[in-house]
Amino acid sequence: MTLELRNLHAGYGRTQVLHDINLTVPAGAAVALLGSNGAGKTTLLKTIAGLVTPTSGELRWNGREQSHRSPHRRVADGVCLIPEGRGIFRNLTVAENLAMHTRGRGKAKAVETATRYFPVLGQRLSQTAGTMSGGQQQMLAVARALVTEPALLMIDELSVGLAPVVIDEIFAAIELLRAEGRSLLVVEQYVQRALAIADYVYILNKGRIVFIGEPAQCRSGTIFERYLGEGVA
Amino acid sequence: MSDYLPFIVLGITTGSIYALAAMGLVVTYTTSGVFNFAHGAVAMVSAYAYYTLTVDWGLAPELAVFLVVLGLGPLVGVIVDRGLFRRLQGAGSAAYVVVSIGLLVALQGLVIIMYGPTSKPVPPIFPQKVVDLGAVNVGYDQIAITTIAAGLGLGLALFFKRTQTGLDMRAVVDDPQLAELTGANASRTTTLAWMLGSSFASLAGVLLAPTLGADALVLILLVVQAFGAAALGRLVSLPIAYAGAIGLGVLGQLSIKWVSEYASGQTWLSGLPQSLPFIALFTVLIVSKKGSFKELTKSVQARSSSQTLAPGSRRFPAIVLTVIVGVGLVIPSLATDSRTTTATTAMAMLIMFSSLSLLLGLSRQISLCHAVFVALGATTLGHLQADGVPFLPALLMAGLVVVPIAGLLAIPAIRLSGLFLALATFGFGVLFQNLLYNTSWVFGTSGQVAVERPTLFGNLLDGTNEFYFFVLAIAVASVVTVELVRATRLGRLLRATADSNVAVETLGINTTAARTVVFCVSGFFAAIAGGLLSSQVTTVGTSSYSFFQSLIWVAVLVAAGSATLGGAALATTMLVAIPAFFTDADVINYQTMFFGIGAILLAQAPNGLVGLVTNLPNTRLWGRMADDGPARAGAHATRRRQRLAPTSATPTSVPATGATR
Repeated sequence: MTLELRNLHAGYGRTQVLHDINLTVPAGAAVALLGSNGAGKTTLLKTIAGLVTPTSGELRWNGREQSHRSPHRRVADGVCLIPEGRGIFRNLTVAENLAMHTRGRGKAKAVETATRYFPVLGQRLSQTAGTMSGGQQQMLAVARALVTEPALLMIDELSVGLAPVVIDEIFAAIELLRAEGRSLLVVEQYVQRALAIADYVYILNKGRIVFIGEPAQCRSGTIFERYLGEGVA
Repeated sequence: MSDYLPFIVLGITTGSIYALAAMGLVVTYTTSGVFNFAHGAVAMVSAYAYYTLTVDWGLAPELAVFLVVLGLGPLVGVIVDRGLFRRLQGAGSAAYVVVSIGLLVALQGLVIIMYGPTSKPVPPIFPQKVVDLGAVNVGYDQIAITTIAAGLGLGLALFFKRTQTGLDMRAVVDDPQLAELTGANASRTTTLAWMLGSSFASLAGVLLAPTLGADALVLILLVVQAFGAAALGRLVSLPIAYAGAIGLGVLGQLSIKWVSEYASGQTWLSGLPQSLPFIALFTVLIVSKKGSFKELTKSVQARSSSQTLAPGSRRFPAIVLTVIVGVGLVIPSLATDSRTTTATTAMAMLIMFSSLSLLLGLSRQISLCHAVFVALGATTLGHLQADGVPFLPALLMAGLVVVPIAGLLAIPAIRLSGLFLALATFGFGVLFQNLLYNTSWVFGTSGQVAVERPTLFGNLLDGTNEFYFFVLAIAVASVVTVELVRATRLGRLLRATADSNVAVETLGINTTAARTVVFCVSGFFAAIAGGLLSSQVTTVGTSSYSFFQSLIWVAVLVAAGSATLGGAALATTMLVAIPAFFTDADVINYQTMFFGIGAILLAQAPNGLVGLVTNLPNTRLWGRMADDGPARAGAHATRRRQRLAPTSATPTSVPATGATR
């Protein structure tokens, strides 16, 4: 299952954010999407998930045009976005959050899977999700990807505000998903972590794709100096 | 104890009906984030529909209940959700409050136009038999109502806890976008919740109708009692709302017994039973811990507030004021006596609307109890005159008497925002009317107070024109004061607080004083308006200043434009002047309905009708009309871009701001 974006334009109201985006996530590949603040990374992920409607261009998932399909239909087709800033229902309990992910099917298995990866969640099933620590909340958010087994997983700034040890734990789970052959599209501020799991790298600058390549091409540092500022790599 | 049993049974029954209404309210609030002030109106419309189906069409009561509760109720829910509230998404909580009040006012007007103001007898739903339980006889209807409410309450709790749709409903209000991302259809879920909540309101209305008859205001007020029960559960807890409603129902009935036995001489206590829910509402709102009432509407991303700020609202409106004074001065020479009398009322109402616009338009605090301030101003003036105080000092004192009361309301104003302040003032308004209107401080047991015309330099101003100029002078002075408040530091501070209280507080400014002062100033001028209105008609009664008036005033002012003096002037014209040109008695009901519709349509307009008109030159339509087509429209667009230049000057900065959303 391949994600393909061709000449895609999108934005909010009169404000155009994304210009002429061409991007491909081949089946089973991991793509890192990098760029400075305000480059349009989040908007791109939201457009793919269906929260932002493209103004023109093509957005194909598994060969089917998606531009005007609602987000929940794309979810049913295996597209999963874990949004920036703790993608959880703060007022529901941990168990209820997991039940939301599985949509009523196999709740017990979902709990089992989530707690196998993140044992701490198992001790907090009846706790209101919003009262957990930031790291635990992010684990719960990532648990969605684990229990719903999506074909394409998009993750937006997973590590913001988390302790390194927690980030390690969460990235270990993502590595596993990668090993299972799921497609990944990752936006991440820790460039090295993103490069470590990526097959391809796209750099977004002011709403346009300015670089497409492989992680090895980025090691030199010149690319980052040009688009992300010195010292990033 | 056996003396109390019948009251307890009755209390549980009425409490069960409140519980149905309260649970419906909680369902819509927790799932859509919208507190529906028109919840009682949905119940009222359902009761009238039940009347039409059974009495006019001759359907069996059971069938009629079925059609109303499972047909009309959900239908109203869909219309209210998709037609009214969905398009507000992203607006501030004030817009939601105004739209639901507009709906309440419009439906009340519509029903009275269709069915007339008198109560209609409605056939019973359940068999009129009783079961003898030894100490007390219990009616079949009482058993049925209690069972239905308990069963539905339990069912609802299980529905939210155990079913995927129930879980979706809770998830959608938490974060609609995320709910979509987990595969829930947020839009359909919200509509389902509205259908469910609306059906509960319908059921409450239909169950109340046989005992009360189909009566617009009584039904609205009774279902509104559910607000108190819902507030006990902080508007989000179904079990507490249910238990609270039963508790308030029983307490209400018991207090009827206590008042009749021990305190029949105390007139103010006679209003206690029906006031209990509002005491609960007001008390819970003002004594609960700060921040414990969370506005769910805020979970939706707030739209840029610049859209809701009226253009020109920060300048002193010299031109509008000049026009008002100019027109005001020539009216008596052009108009007949009766028209001048209308103009006198209009001038007094201008003060009232001007005072209300200080809250609504400037600090964006919704007051739903302005009728209380006006009534207090009117009656205090009458009482002081009776004690021999001359008119002007008495009028001033009447205004000052209201200041501490308005200050009392500033407590919730400081602690609560948007919706909850509106609810607190609403509760206060109904409470004051029920408990205190009949006391000797206000209207007294007769429900009327006589007020004399003023005496100036030894002359009684009983001539139409003399009194008119007197009112005009006070109106101009009051309006100038209000506009000075708006144009000076206090006004700036309040505007800023309305935008972001936190931002203002981080500047080291104490916003408590500003928000208290604006309530006091507004209350003061409302009382002055009340004094003038009462001395115009020389006798005032309770019916002129019922809680419903406050709602209508808010609807009119929002429709006309709440942010500027022009809006207050237009509101006055629409409310006072237009009916003077019609002789049909129904015109007031049509007027009420149109005000409601106006408030619904214009809740989001920056400054109501006045804003639309003053903004006309900036619209595309105007560009087309004023010139010869597309080229001109383009020129207009260029002008508009130039005007907006500072925020979107460089194209490169556009993605930068957009991408972080």
